[in-house]
Amino acid sequence: MKFLPYVLKHLRRSWVRTLSTIVGMALCIFLICVLQTVLDAIRKTTEAADPSRVVTRHAVSLTFNMPLAYKPRIQGLAGVKRVAVSNWFGGVYRDMKDFFPNFAVESEDYFPMYPEYVVPPADYAAYLADMQGALVGRDVATKYGFKVGDSFQMESFIPPYRVSGPLKFNVRGIYDAPPGRKSSVNVGMMFFHYKYLYESVRGRRGVGSYAGAGTFSIQVSDPARANAVMKAIDTNFENSDVQTKTETEGAFLAGFIALTGNLVGLLNGVGLAVGFTILLVTANTMSMAVRERRTEIAVLKTLGFPSALVMGLILGEAFAIATASGVIGVVMARLAVGNLANLPFMGLLLGNFPALEVSPTVGLLTLSLAVVLGTGAGFVPALGAYRSRITEALRSI
Amino acid sequence: MASVDVRQVRKVYKRDAEEIVVLNGIDLQVPDGEFVALMGPSGSGKTTLLNLVAGIDRATSGSITVGQTNVTSLSEGELARWRSRNVGFIFQFYNLIPVLSAVENVELPLLLTSLSRSQRRERALTALKVVGLADRAKHYPRQLSGGQEQRVAIARAIVTDPSVIVADEPTGDLDAKSAEDILNLLDLLNREFKKTIVMVTHDPRAAGRAHVERHLEKGQLASSIVRREVTA
Repeated sequence: MKFLPYVLKHLRRSWVRTLSTIVGMALCIFLICVLQTVLDAIRKTTEAADPSRVVTRHAVSLTFNMPLAYKPRIQGLAGVKRVAVSNWFGGVYRDMKDFFPNFAVESEDYFPMYPEYVVPPADYAAYLADMQGALVGRDVATKYGFKVGDSFQMESFIPPYRVSGPLKFNVRGIYDAPPGRKSSVNVGMMFFHYKYLYESVRGRRGVGSYAGAGTFSIQVSDPARANAVMKAIDTNFENSDVQTKTETEGAFLAGFIALTGNLVGLLNGVGLAVGFTILLVTANTMSMAVRERRTEIAVLKTLGFPSALVMGLILGEAFAIATASGVIGVVMARLAVGNLANLPFMGLLLGNFPALEVSPTVGLLTLSLAVVLGTGAGFVPALGAYRSRITEALRSI
Repeated sequence: MASVDVRQVRKVYKRDAEEIVVLNGIDLQVPDGEFVALMGPSGSGKTTLLNLVAGIDRATSGSITVGQTNVTSLSEGELARWRSRNVGFIFQFYNLIPVLSAVENVELPLLLTSLSRSQRRERALTALKVVGLADRAKHYPRQLSGGQEQRVAIARAIVTDPSVIVADEPTGDLDAKSAEDILNLLDLLNREFKKTIVMVTHDPRAAGRAHVERHLEKGQLASSIVRREVTA
């Protein structure tokens, strides 16, 4: 500890360089922390999926709907307990920046499958009784000030659902996550009745036009037999015009995320590049610091400072820079990450994750990365100081 | 017994295949409390000899004993520890650490001891008092004159109370008045504090303050002038 003031004084020597290094590194750490938080959210979302639930969608793409007539055929298969149509509505409240995920669901079948969406029974009954009723998540209600009884309008950005203009909704209930599951249940969404969507679309795009089923959410009687049920469903529609793809809820969510491309690979790749940048930035700073202090290092050694201690002092400077950058970067990420979903178009992707926040694990991991990379980058210059010969360094004045 | 005993020391530098003999069979004995000036033309090996005595460079052959320690047999770590306790080094260009105040510079060698913070500070201030700069303790090197910087460097050299002080052209970068002050200070350290001093200089006036002048030429001790014997 007695060498700490010495280390800190050296960092202040060229404070512009030290500060710019810390800011540069902090930005890198901020970026890594945000990316890892998104990856963490993806992992948590897929891990929290219920093994008793499977999802059937169009075999070609999630963007195509399936015939509603598939529902009774799926319902009739052995091992299927419950089936509900669930359509991504893509409704925009006020403006794209206010986007939150919203789904048209067959409420009577859908909500019994999702006990993690907790609604007061009276509100739920009122919701079922109102064709224009809506259930909004606690986060959505808090953010936009929705109360039970409020009305609002939303218009989808999906062309077939825009035919009748904006739809009016009445807030009949606010759903919450059960205690202890707040990090894995998304309370940032909204649900309304599929029949309302169906009626608003039916016949508007020509005779016989209707909304179709975006996905079928299916509950199986025995999770151990989920694979057999999934296979049976897809086999059932194998020879039809509209073939299906059935997968576990976890795989479906992962696939939904993958619609944006190889997101996990992309985020990890960016993180790797940023980490390498940290290495270069710190190595450059420490190399300059050591190079311009060759004589001082020789003086320290002349005074009797062992080479290992001199090396330790240089590493101490790198450690101090790395720690300061790491702490600033993680704090910045904590402050910023909650607002990410509010950015234009980010809500489309990030709104599907439960409460997005920098977890202690991600924060600690990122901080450790900053410390290890930053200190590691100081190793080569520190080794140079360790190996430097006193007489040669003194001669280089 | 000699405080510094150099016997048959050779120092050879290698540049590619070529060997450059800098010191060639040097014998030098410096008794306790003696003030020796090493003189000679540039490239004669004065500074190299000084560095060997101070333990910051290694002889190719021969032995160097300072006090009771044969420094040629010490490992790098042992040599560093030995330097911190037994040798005070004064450089031509002072070599103070610019980000540290005068008292912090003087305190630097004491960081290697087990002294408490207050003890270190007290000793550093005492050393500054000896060189007459107690009132400049909080000043940074850039706020001091060359002569004052060199006095701080001398305080740093004596703060661990070493038996031997080596000085490499301590007045080489100073004006006549400051140089005189520094030489008076070295004289004081030798006379009052019984420090053995080995000083490299080009300045005959500086050399004139030493008890003995030893001249080097082409890596060998050529002649010596004894001005006065060391008094007990």
